[in-house]
Amino acid sequence: MLSSISKKLGPNGQRVAILLLVLVAIALFFSSQIQNYLTPRLFVRISTSVSIIALISVGQAVVVMTRNIDLSIGSVVGCTAYFLGGILASFPDLAPVFVVLLAMGIGACFGLVNGLLVSRLNLPSIIVTLATLALFRSILVESSDGSSITTGSLPIWLIEFARQNMFVVGGFKVRWMVVIALFVVFSMHFFLTKFRAGRQFYAVGSNPDAAEFSGINLKRTVLQAFLISGALAGLAGFMFLARFGNITVVAGQGLELKSVGAVVVGGVNIFGGSGSIIGVLLGATLIDLIDTSLVRWELVSEFWREAILGLLILFAVAMDTLLARRLLGGRKPNPSDKEPEKTKLASGRVKESST
Amino acid sequence: MMVAPILEMKNVSKHFGVTAALSDVSFEMFPGEIHALVGENGAGKSTLIKAMTGIHQPSSGEIWVDGSARILRTTQEAQVIGITAIYQEPMVFPDLDVAENIFINHHSRSQFILWNDMYEEAEAVIAKLGVSLDVRRPASTLTLAEQQTVEIARAISLDVRVLIMDEPSASLSDNEVQRLFSIARSLSSQGVAVLYISHRLEEIFALADRVTVMRDGTHISTKVIDDVTNESLVTEMVGRDMEGRFARKPSTATGEDMLTVQGLSKNGVFSDISFSVEKGEIVCFSGLVGARRTDVALALFGIDPANSGKVSIDGVVAKISSPKDAQELGIAYVSEDRRKFGIAMDESITSNITLPMMNKYSNSVGLIDFDAESRDAIEFRMRLNIKAADLVSPVGALSGGNQQKVMLAKWLNTAPRLLIVDEPTRGIDIGAKAEVHQILHELAAEGVAIMIISSDLPEVLSLADRIIVMREGRIAGEFIGDIATEGNVMHLAVGAGVQMEFA
Amino acid sequence: MSTENFTSRIVKALNSWEGFLLLVLVLLFVGNTINSPFFFTLNNQINLFQLSIEKVIVAVIMTFVIINAEIDLSVASIMGFAACLFGWLFQSGVSASGAVVIVLAAGAILGAFNAFWIAWVGIPSLVVTLATMIAFRGFARVLVEDRGITGFPDWFDKLGQAPLVGPIPLSILVFFVLVFFFYIVLQRTVFGRQVYFIGSNRDVAEYSGINVRGVQAIIFTLSGLISALAGLLFAARLGAVRGDAALGFELDIITIVLLGGVSIFGGRGTMVGTLLAILIVLNLRNGMALANITGHIQTGVLGILLILSVMVPNIQEWIKKLRKLGKGTVE
Repeated sequence: MLSSISKKLGPNGQRVAILLLVLVAIALFFSSQIQNYLTPRLFVRISTSVSIIALISVGQAVVVMTRNIDLSIGSVVGCTAYFLGGILASFPDLAPVFVVLLAMGIGACFGLVNGLLVSRLNLPSIIVTLATLALFRSILVESSDGSSITTGSLPIWLIEFARQNMFVVGGFKVRWMVVIALFVVFSMHFFLTKFRAGRQFYAVGSNPDAAEFSGINLKRTVLQAFLISGALAGLAGFMFLARFGNITVVAGQGLELKSVGAVVVGGVNIFGGSGSIIGVLLGATLIDLIDTSLVRWELVSEFWREAILGLLILFAVAMDTLLARRLLGGRKPNPSDKEPEKTKLASGRVKESST
Repeated sequence: MMVAPILEMKNVSKHFGVTAALSDVSFEMFPGEIHALVGENGAGKSTLIKAMTGIHQPSSGEIWVDGSARILRTTQEAQVIGITAIYQEPMVFPDLDVAENIFINHHSRSQFILWNDMYEEAEAVIAKLGVSLDVRRPASTLTLAEQQTVEIARAISLDVRVLIMDEPSASLSDNEVQRLFSIARSLSSQGVAVLYISHRLEEIFALADRVTVMRDGTHISTKVIDDVTNESLVTEMVGRDMEGRFARKPSTATGEDMLTVQGLSKNGVFSDISFSVEKGEIVCFSGLVGARRTDVALALFGIDPANSGKVSIDGVVAKISSPKDAQELGIAYVSEDRRKFGIAMDESITSNITLPMMNKYSNSVGLIDFDAESRDAIEFRMRLNIKAADLVSPVGALSGGNQQKVMLAKWLNTAPRLLIVDEPTRGIDIGAKAEVHQILHELAAEGVAIMIISSDLPEVLSLADRIIVMREGRIAGEFIGDIATEGNVMHLAVGAGVQMEFA
Repeated sequence: MSTENFTSRIVKALNSWEGFLLLVLVLLFVGNTINSPFFFTLNNQINLFQLSIEKVIVAVIMTFVIINAEIDLSVASIMGFAACLFGWLFQSGVSASGAVVIVLAAGAILGAFNAFWIAWVGIPSLVVTLATMIAFRGFARVLVEDRGITGFPDWFDKLGQAPLVGPIPLSILVFFVLVFFFYIVLQRTVFGRQVYFIGSNRDVAEYSGINVRGVQAIIFTLSGLISALAGLLFAARLGAVRGDAALGFELDIITIVLLGGVSIFGGRGTMVGTLLAILIVLNLRNGMALANITGHIQTGVLGILLILSVMVPNIQEWIKKLRKLGKGTVE
């Protein structure tokens, strides 16, 4: 019976089902360990912090689908939050909608830098974004002169926004922030599943040669992925600013790793081509739930969270690799095709030897 | 025929540097015909296909579609006017399902995807092919044949008018080939012109309306299938006097077995391979692409070990599970793919030559004796007449023939007792070819057992003491070198006519 | 004739990437000396080395990793873990000398852990070490939490700080010994030759009977071991450890190696190139510091350098094209 259910769900559905089960199991486990655990407060807390992580993870997911990675995403969040705070301190009367668009625009500019370097100059994204991770952060530090953005300098509506509830059901407060984040996440899900422009990301990551053969522009698709990732990180920066108010130069540090974690745990193939946004949302929730719960668990220190995140990523990738190998096991690879084609970067660069 | 042709190739030539891959090829294709294209390896078939699909542009000549000249700059442009090719290795998106593979980036689709509509249309396209396939399955779960079907379906959805099938049957089972045939027939009944390329003559007689033979980059003939026979096709493909002989050196075989292989099998690749090679003997493996000759060599060399069977070296049963094992038994394998498996193009000539034998050039702590290395490299340069300015330059800087000699030197340096050479002279010029042949003869005279895999029939006939013909993973027959002809080797390789008696 | 030969050899040497780096280094030296009279003093030169000594030590082994066409993002986390493990062991009453041995062994084990997933399970090193970069950093934090541990024995602190031979402290000696040793290994031994061939063309290496997995396992284990050693020196130099010790160092380390002419796609690069790049980066940072440029701008400059260094093949291609245009040759 189990197998027939799993067959019906398909690989993505299976992953979502497993993630849901694991989420419930972990919540139940911690509720047996921690007093007063499953409360409306926990819900509010996790839902607000997941809304930020989910946004950047979705951007990261789109990039990873095209066989790339964006390690600069945490710096983009920090930069956007900081610059936005600075702008708002000088121009407190800006319309909220414009502020949100501005945040996404700032983020997209950073994404453009990454995207151009990767797609036009054929540079490996891991190196480019490792460099821009430092570069963007140093721009932030330098332009800040060491000073921080404080709650006092921000317009009231922004601070209020982070605490405003859209509705309350039996003590479960649903913040506007959460609703907006969920709206964006589901819009992206809709875009990636229902639109030709969205399917291109899958096609490029799944088989760059075939994508090119079908007339899909590889470079443009990769650039778009980085733009989306930047814009969503910008939006996350806006929420970050609203939620925390006080922004220092280290704001957003480490978010890049959390987003990679959410993406991989959420079932996006780290080698590109497949994955679902719903899975990424659940992956982000899972990681945040573990993070938040460890802080309150007395038996094990909260300092385990990075160790657990790292091992979780490794475990998820190892499982995917071994599963994929088993699936392919029945088919004989062409002897002249020993090198896995996945080593080809989506930007079209393959290792070349001189002639 | 009364109908106007869809596609006409008019005096098409294609040069790469000084070598002509196609010279003055003309032929035409009519709607609804299944047109077979045959020729030996290197006859120019794939260059022709590439010219037809916009991958290569002809150096001279014109391609006419529907009675007017067209320039095809990309595969896209070829697709738009209805020319599409599918290859032995299908090009699909493994993560996407069948329907999406068919319709991805399809010009007729709206930006918003109506999945249910798409599935229905995909089912309709698949139904046109007269096969059944769940359009919701991801392509990664499909067999090779099913992936091909998806590619054909994609072509149909693009209103294909000329469908080129390049060796589509090479890795298919008999049932799958039958299904492919019915797809091709139903396409032709719908007015599509199918260009079918295959080495297997029986497939051509079963399927084609007309057949075109190519040889050495030129068009030899185009005839209605009823006007040709096995013999006439083979004669035209080989193109030389089939009984002609080449100057041959006397055999240096010693009668003492170096290698004995009994019942070697690998699931789904080759089965029941038995043969032996004597010291000083040159045994050539002949056959077509996909005959699995290289796979047998890779099994003997420990890259892809066989599942069952017995390999004996000097009469002692040997277990070979890695190239290291093979090397220690005195086996060397010179790959057909220089660039991929043969030599590291960025590394120096000397270090490539000495790579498998590094222990010979190092002291007990692993320090390399550079002098000894370069002494040996210089010796090989003289012995094999490698033309290189110096031996520290990267191999990639040399010409193809000299690269080939470096690869040979690399394995000769291991002092092999069994040398397996895969396509020893592919892509090198006549002079270098003769030199390589000379070297192989000298080695045999020194008592080395030599196993050659070659698709070049004149080469096989001039070198071989014995010829073993493989076909679809099995040994199809064996000839004594002196009495073999291109005709009877080819017959056995393509599976035409009666089974040859073992000579 | 011999002079001609000699000149042409010099021209050839200067035409290489190493020659270019040497030129840059000389320019940096001249510029810095003009800029600050303090620059060209022995003390400053020792000082500039000492400030980044842990990174440059790891750059030596990273050269092997990248020539092998792999990458190790976890080195800085292993450094941090090593420092924290040392502090934790010391606090738990293990003697400092005993702790050193345990830490080095632990570093090798973490390296071997990476090697297992990369060489045997077959997951790309990029992914494995990205995950272990997070995990190993997590181990470090688990050990020391948010404390700082200090109060190591005098001799240990002295190892990192005090001059040992003349004005030169131990860490710099260790560095030069390692550079020399690994120069020999990479450029003059069979193992080094195998590292190049695997990076250049893995299949050719395998077909030639090289034990590819074994070589990779050795490299990643060594990478862990050397990183742990660097982490210990870091602890000794600062006299204190914290959970974020050496955080982000992998960026500098990889930048140095790529700048030294090692190709991110493997197979190309030399130990001499890495050494020159080390000197350039150190002098650049020192020069910027003397010119009162802050650490974060320096990091930003390094980020730009990193992008430039992966563009080296692109740049060389452009130069070739320009030359062809200039000569007007027709292909």
